[in-house]
Amino acid sequence: MKTLAIEFRKEKRTGILSLMILIGILGAAYVFINFIIRKDTLLSLPLSPMDVLLTQLYGMIMVLNMFGIIVATCMIYNMEFKGSAVKKMYMLPIKVSSIYLCKFVIITFLLFVAICFQNLALTQIGITDLPQGTFEISTLIKFTGYSFVTTMPVLSFMLFVSSRFENMWIPLGIGVAGFLSGMALANSNITLFMIHPFIVMLKPAIAMSAQPNLTVSLIALIETTLFFFAGLWTTKNIRYE
Amino acid sequence: MEYMITTKELTKKYKHFTAVNDISLHIRKGSIYGFLGPNGAGKSTTMKMLLGLTAPTNGKFSIDGKTFPNDRISILKEVGSFIESPSFYPNLTGRENLDIIRRILELPQSAVDESLELVGLTEFSNRLAKKYSLGMKQRLGLAGALLGKPPILILDEPTNGLDPSGIHEIRNLIKSLPAIYDCTVLISSHMLSEIELIADDIGILNHGRLLFEGSLDELRQTALEVGFATDNLEDMFLSMIGKDNKSRKQRAKL
Repeated sequence: MKTLAIEFRKEKRTGILSLMILIGILGAAYVFINFIIRKDTLLSLPLSPMDVLLTQLYGMIMVLNMFGIIVATCMIYNMEFKGSAVKKMYMLPIKVSSIYLCKFVIITFLLFVAICFQNLALTQIGITDLPQGTFEISTLIKFTGYSFVTTMPVLSFMLFVSSRFENMWIPLGIGVAGFLSGMALANSNITLFMIHPFIVMLKPAIAMSAQPNLTVSLIALIETTLFFFAGLWTTKNIRYE
Repeated sequence: MEYMITTKELTKKYKHFTAVNDISLHIRKGSIYGFLGPNGAGKSTTMKMLLGLTAPTNGKFSIDGKTFPNDRISILKEVGSFIESPSFYPNLTGRENLDIIRRILELPQSAVDESLELVGLTEFSNRLAKKYSLGMKQRLGLAGALLGKPPILILDEPTNGLDPSGIHEIRNLIKSLPAIYDCTVLISSHMLSEIELIADDIGILNHGRLLFEGSLDELRQTALEVGFATDNLEDMFLSMIGKDNKSRKQRAKL
């Protein structure tokens, strides 16, 4: 807890907190505006109202979250490298791996906050704009959990990459390349492509059903764990010189 | 004699380059040990090894009887350090930067004020560290090293970037530290005149090898015996380095 409190103090003036809240608000605003403008078109699609609400609006929310994660992970490590502060951390009686763990927890928490904002907007639309009796809170919660789990591999991967490069533009470039290649390959049915964390994140956005896909969820959990432990191991064993 | 830091045949190799070659240091408790050497002699690498920033290729060392990596946390609790350039969070003020270190070291709030006062940074403590001048960043780095009055200080060229009055001030501060709270100081510098004024013992390093270790008087004695100039430390140092470089060149030719 001590390290987590210290990490939160370090984030002061970095803009990470406001960035993720902004992502949440922008996502919520997009949901409202899109549904107000395209309500009739969306509801006339040959899909159940809950599928329309969750899958047809998720694409843009996912892109916002993805870029939020890419920028936030770059920023959270850039402040460590910019003034060589990380060097000082290695010379202090603190486990450097616990710093990594705390940064992971902070970004996950901020992503959760952003997702809460976005899903509150979806809930509001579901209650007020979907045909009477079609809104299912359990489906919304399940889809929220599913989209959160499928987002985690990108977060885990980007934090790992950001922790390894002193130059912020490298992880930023990797993030953008990941997004573009993910977009290009997301529709493929080749399961092997799901090694790519960005494709896993894109899966709920290209699906026509709000029902979680167990295989995708399982792969997402495995990738999140792998990238997380890779980051933890490298931080602990590959020293800053 | 009680030693605070000892190294035994400490070596660091980077592929085909040997940065530190077989050096054995003996740093007395409560003394100021001046680490001298030209650029690239291996001073910073040695200090980095002592702080666990880089692992030795060979040899070992102990700090207050403890060794890396098993006693890493315990060693770092006792050591205040400042290596190469100042390390800081640019998005935080000087005070906030020190507060981060204070929290890690679990020190009282007053430790930050004391440290700021010691290095003369109180007036600028609420300014963002990224807006500090080089001299102020240097002072901030020193304040971080002095936080909590650690029993061991490892300082790598701490007066770099300071103006003459700043150098004088920091030099006097470092000189006074062992008397104020019985700490041991390992300080490196290429400002030979500076080391001469503050150090009890010195170690001279060239191309990763330790050419001399002992007190200033012992250095003068050695210099006399081998026919070096003894007017001041700078002459002795230059003579030693010159002779070593010459013999290295001859060895290379052979």
